[in-house]
Amino acid sequence: MSLPLAVVGVSHETAPVEIREQVAYGVEEARSALLALRSDLAADEAVLLSTCNRTEAYIFPATRERTRAVRLRLFRQRIGGIDGDPAPYAFEKWGADAAGHLLSVTAGLDAMVTGEAEIQGQVRDALELARSVPATPSLAGPVLNRLFQTALAAGGQVRSETRIGEGTASVASVAVELAGKIFGSLHGKRILVLGAGMTGELILTALAREGVQSVAVANRTYDRAVHLARKHHGQAVPFERISNILATVDIVLSSTAAPHPVLTRAILTESFNEPRRRPLLVIDLAIPRDVDPAVGDEPGVFLYNVDDLRSIVEEHVQLREEAIPEARSVLAEHRRTFLAWHASREVVPVIRAMRERATRVKESELGRLFARLAGLEPEERALVEEFARRFQNKLLHAPTVRLKKGMAEGSGPELVEIVRFLYGIGDETARSGGGSRSDPHSAAGDADAGGSLRDGSLQKQPDADGHGSASGGTENLNRSAPR
Amino acid sequence: MIHLSAFVAYVGALVPWVYLLLRGPRPNVVAVASGLTVVAVLLHAMATVDFWLTYDQLPLGGLAPALSSLALVGGVALVAVLPLREAGRIALGLLPLLVALEGGALLLGIEPSPMDLGFRGAGFVLHVALAFLGLQGLAVAFAAGLLYLIQHHELKMKRLGRLSRFIPPLATLEKVGRVGLTVGFVSLSLALVLGWAWTVQNLGSLRIDDPKVIWAVLSWAVFVAIFAARRGPGSSEYRGALAAVIGFAVVVGTYLAFRLTAVGTGLFL
Repeated sequence: MSLPLAVVGVSHETAPVEIREQVAYGVEEARSALLALRSDLAADEAVLLSTCNRTEAYIFPATRERTRAVRLRLFRQRIGGIDGDPAPYAFEKWGADAAGHLLSVTAGLDAMVTGEAEIQGQVRDALELARSVPATPSLAGPVLNRLFQTALAAGGQVRSETRIGEGTASVASVAVELAGKIFGSLHGKRILVLGAGMTGELILTALAREGVQSVAVANRTYDRAVHLARKHHGQAVPFERISNILATVDIVLSSTAAPHPVLTRAILTESFNEPRRRPLLVIDLAIPRDVDPAVGDEPGVFLYNVDDLRSIVEEHVQLREEAIPEARSVLAEHRRTFLAWHASREVVPVIRAMRERATRVKESELGRLFARLAGLEPEERALVEEFARRFQNKLLHAPTVRLKKGMAEGSGPELVEIVRFLYGIGDETARSGGGSRSDPHSAAGDADAGGSLRDGSLQKQPDADGHGSASGGTENLNRSAPR
Repeated sequence: MIHLSAFVAYVGALVPWVYLLLRGPRPNVVAVASGLTVVAVLLHAMATVDFWLTYDQLPLGGLAPALSSLALVGGVALVAVLPLREAGRIALGLLPLLVALEGGALLLGIEPSPMDLGFRGAGFVLHVALAFLGLQGLAVAFAAGLLYLIQHHELKMKRLGRLSRFIPPLATLEKVGRVGLTVGFVSLSLALVLGWAWTVQNLGSLRIDDPKVIWAVLSWAVFVAIFAARRGPGSSEYRGALAAVIGFAVVVGTYLAFRLTAVGTGLFL
């Protein structure tokens, strides 16, 4: 029995930003989309994860037809200029691979910047959103709820136990980290911004988030300085008066379009009326550079240009990538646990069905026996009934125990299939613990998704983690159309 | 035996701190490192109490007991800094010093001094405790200063690697160093005044040719020099850190020179 789980989505690996921004869902849009998946496509469980890098729908139980319908509903209407199926930009993953994909995404392994931490919160929000949709039973049903909780726990463990999140991986965050390493807390620190460029503003915003309070902006075009200063509750300063400010600030952020250095060592030292006692961080984002490299030789001055920042980012990204194998092994363990949990959900109805079948046989045979032995005393009948009950229990004890043990050891799905085959137990008992709504396509979907013992296609397939997978698969829709 | 346990615990506490430096921040390991440090200091305190109960005196007289007590004061200072999050990482600079002091004391044998000490009682205990606090204040400033210089170097070299991320921010180190220096200077000054008063009162005059006195006054002068360096022109934080490192080296170096050249009395000096 495979895991009838699927993820269908568009991500930074399959689609450019122009496409991704069209299929991004806001909170209310996602809520409506989830409701539509329930009402129109009869999805038992569905969670929609939408970030700037990906929009993914997790569906349980999934079939080929349902997954295709989800893909068309979520993406076709939104991607302008695409007639028919948005398959060229979408991907699908099935079964264990779909589960592994969510774990990988949550841990930041599939992020544009490896180890990016924001996704953890976004995954949590996606689960909360599915929970909040007014649908009964909840769209965040037992399987997807468990899967998402597993992914969040795995992501947390990966971040705390590996180096996947070590260092910062963007120029703005490196600037913030540098400032933190020099000043500790940035609360109350003063910053002078030279120029009003985009990158400079990005870093200024990041620094302001960390508590930088006093902002002075100097720009050749005074109006732009005023505009930027207002935006950050600072003050605009005429460019020619920057030397008056330099002595009082802690951070200088420069990104002018000047063809020559606007900040030299001479200007800096002259601006200090008395010897400077505390450090000064100078970030030069301009090309050509705004700050004379000799400024960095001044004691207590830490000068970083855009190449320095980029080289730190590259170093951090490399460190994170080195941690990927370790992170994958942590995820593989969590995935195994989830699959074992899911498999254990299947064993309960199978055992119940096995016992019910045995009880039916017992009752039937006892009825026939008592019809032929009509003269039995009540005590004798009770003895025979007791014998039959004990015989049935003893006969079923070993398979029940071994089935449960097999589940715990990971060979559950195969054992369940064997028991179902041997006892002739129908598929309906294995669907979602037997408690979910029926799905007319599920059997076909399961076979399509991962195969089954009966059709002989249930094979351990090496997955992305290098571990065997009892089910599932990935379909790159860029290369092959859905069946 | 308890001293040996404390020594082993100090070494054991150093291991997770080094691990953190090599492998990057791990909240669980920080907790283990901090916990082991606390355990080591508690064991050390128990060993000190045990010495007191056994010999009816605090381990202040004699080289080995003095080294051990000096280490304990450092341990207590470290435990006080541990809750200050990143500042606790000065453990990496301070723990090796504590290991060396306690290890040295164990090698020499932590026994009471056979010498009859003229200076006794609460005054003596206060004098030595203040002097040790002064020296450990300098040790804290040294550890913070050393990490400051490493962090400063990393940032100047434009590296934001594992070493830089492990070491606390410059501002934190500067603050810890400043507090260490201030507490150390006040304590040592009080210890000197107390010792000077007792000596003048009981012996008539200060024995300025006594190696202890020379070394204590020199240590005090080192404090003054560090403060002067911090107040001079230019980048005072950097110079203050450098001065703390050099000053501590001068104090330790002078002590060793006295130990090697002066005639040993069996006391601290």
